[in-house]
Amino acid sequence: MSRFYYYLILINMVANIIASVPAILLHFHNDGAVISMLLSIAAGVLLVTIYTKFFLKYPGKTLPELLEKTTSKWFYQPFVFLLAVLWFVAGLITLITFTFLLIRYLSPEMPIILICLTLILAVIFGCILKTDRVMYTVEMIMIITSPLILFIFFKAYSSKSLNWDFVREAALYINQVPNWHSFSACFFLFLGAANLFIFNRFFTDKQKFGFRQIMFIVLISIGTLFTTYFIPIGFNGFEGINDLVYPWISTTDSIRMEYFIIERVLFMFLLFYLGIAFLSILIHWHAAMEFLKFTFKLEKIKYKDKNIGIFIPLPIFVAISLYFVTVLTEYQLFRYSSYFYDVLVFIFPGMILLFTYINRRMKNEESSPEN
Amino acid sequence: MKSLPRKIKGTILLFVLGSVLLSGCAFKDIDKSVFVAMIALDVSDDEEKPYKVTLKLYEPTGSFNEATEPQYSYLSENGETLSEAIRMMESYSDKELEFGHSKLIILGEELVKDNKNKEILDFLLRRPDIQMISWIAVGRPNAEEIIKMIPQGESAAYPELFNYFDSNGTTTPYIVTTHLFEFRRNMKESGIDSVLPIIEINHEDQHFEVNKSLLLAINKEPLELNSLDTSIYNMLSRSVKHANLLIKEDGDHFIANIDTVKSKFNVNIKNPSEIQLAINISLYGSIAESHKPMISKDLPQYNEELKKESEEKFKGFITEMKKHGYDPLGFGIDYKAKVLHNRRMTDEEWMEAYKKAKVNLTVKPGIKSTGSIQ
Repeated sequence: MSRFYYYLILINMVANIIASVPAILLHFHNDGAVISMLLSIAAGVLLVTIYTKFFLKYPGKTLPELLEKTTSKWFYQPFVFLLAVLWFVAGLITLITFTFLLIRYLSPEMPIILICLTLILAVIFGCILKTDRVMYTVEMIMIITSPLILFIFFKAYSSKSLNWDFVREAALYINQVPNWHSFSACFFLFLGAANLFIFNRFFTDKQKFGFRQIMFIVLISIGTLFTTYFIPIGFNGFEGINDLVYPWISTTDSIRMEYFIIERVLFMFLLFYLGIAFLSILIHWHAAMEFLKFTFKLEKIKYKDKNIGIFIPLPIFVAISLYFVTVLTEYQLFRYSSYFYDVLVFIFPGMILLFTYINRRMKNEESSPEN
Repeated sequence: MKSLPRKIKGTILLFVLGSVLLSGCAFKDIDKSVFVAMIALDVSDDEEKPYKVTLKLYEPTGSFNEATEPQYSYLSENGETLSEAIRMMESYSDKELEFGHSKLIILGEELVKDNKNKEILDFLLRRPDIQMISWIAVGRPNAEEIIKMIPQGESAAYPELFNYFDSNGTTTPYIVTTHLFEFRRNMKESGIDSVLPIIEINHEDQHFEVNKSLLLAINKEPLELNSLDTSIYNMLSRSVKHANLLIKEDGDHFIANIDTVKSKFNVNIKNPSEIQLAINISLYGSIAESHKPMISKDLPQYNEELKKESEEKFKGFITEMKKHGYDPLGFGIDYKAKVLHNRRMTDEEWMEAYKKAKVNLTVKPGIKSTGSIQ
């Protein structure tokens, strides 16, 4: 597969290490989180494989284009609009979580609206970029931030303060009934592949997706989930882990780098993670934007021959984000994101049915001109 | 500029205008904030305001050349709660109190013995600006005196006390280094107990003495570890690299200078009710001092003596801990890490089993040399 494909998968996984996923997981630390993680790996990898194989059949085609060809208007218009909402909310969750983090840890005196606005301003122009430009941005920021983030993970794993006994203790909670919320939170990590709905436009070449590529994804996901769940436990203990609102932030604050520029890893981690979060929001909102463009044919809205249509959703995005960032509390954010993840577990596997339908129609379409 | 297309000009203008908006700095200017070096928490005499908080603040100076001596100022206040005291103190200072750079938190001995750990931890952890990697220690007789003392020869801007816990300065086996997050973790967890270093002041010479420690367990009286026990704890918990051991056996009297300590400890479960504590320690080093000539050929014999003596000391320590039901090394956690959660004994059952457990302790001695002389 092209390396850009892995960026899509990876960013969705890695960005959520810091967001609400670990908080949801660790909340159920003695209530079936471990087994849910294992199940979600199996389910998630299956989903990624099916999604990828489907889109490989139609190189360069986005899902809305395929829908337009195969289904009728009454179906695909509301459906694509629904997708836009889902993608927008996914980006919104990351945005709000990060705004909360920044105000809590980095600049407590700054008004929350201003923090949120700064983040949005950075992202919003990315939304109207062309898809390939978005991909190049993603690669650039990944190259800048990933070595340092990997280094912090390395420091965490090699730290003397990481007590592996706690990790083993937590792992021994494996023989429990899986927990629904933790399953859905983990499952969300795998939905990066769903970004292919739009980003498949970028993959115009024929690609190979076989056993080796699947194994690679399995390895990445095991690594990410293990790090997300067990490292905070190793640092902060098993019994009190539930008290931490942002387990990963507290964990990075427990790592000390004596000979580095900044001793307190927390700030570095926050800043570099800001990059990853930015990418995550960018990808989600770009896709949301494309879905909206498709449903409302925004490109056709013109004023004095200038194309203003694509700018219409931007103020709406900003307004909704600002509204929620001021209204929500941390608790509500976690609860609602948990519900959101729960809903996704039904929607995304359900789309496989749609894929089979599209496949059948497309076959007819291809064979019909010959007849 | 004429050659530039209009679009680019527009973009440049946008950037310039944008930068005007960005110039407003949300952080307070550095000369408007004062940095807290240490936090001391004590019990006050006031009944209604039981907490006493003292802060050591870095006094800003123009340059290091001006400041020949370290300069600090202090703020102190009683409060009904810790944050109330801090809130009052904020009104004493013309600048913003910045806690993010505080590296050491000292708890007064009395406060620790009053079992106020829960309140203290809650306050320290809830504030996002207090580092979880700051060191935590017990001050004797109280925390305020400790932070107010400036030992001779202290350099400006870096309190000497930090060097004790930073592994860059002294590395004696008598100093326990505990970070705030470790303290929290071990206080929350059943199955591992927390050890905090005790800082004392030597009044004649005006310097610090950090060689004892305090063992804190949930629902138990704190237990003081003397210097020897502290160093043994440090060796067993793998947090020191070298140590000295005095050996008095069979008429020999020498000091082994240990430069490498390797220790492994775990719980062996023979059957559900019977457990064994297995501890393996390797000590490598040379002889530092002796009362009579040491013969290189006799090194095996000296090793034998080291083994005997140190096994006795280590075993004594473990037995003492076991007897009183303290678990500084975390055998309880190790037990939990080996048994499925639904087959574990309850905490009380575990404590019983732990108290009855057999200790299998072996020391692998490795004296390699008698030093430069025989």
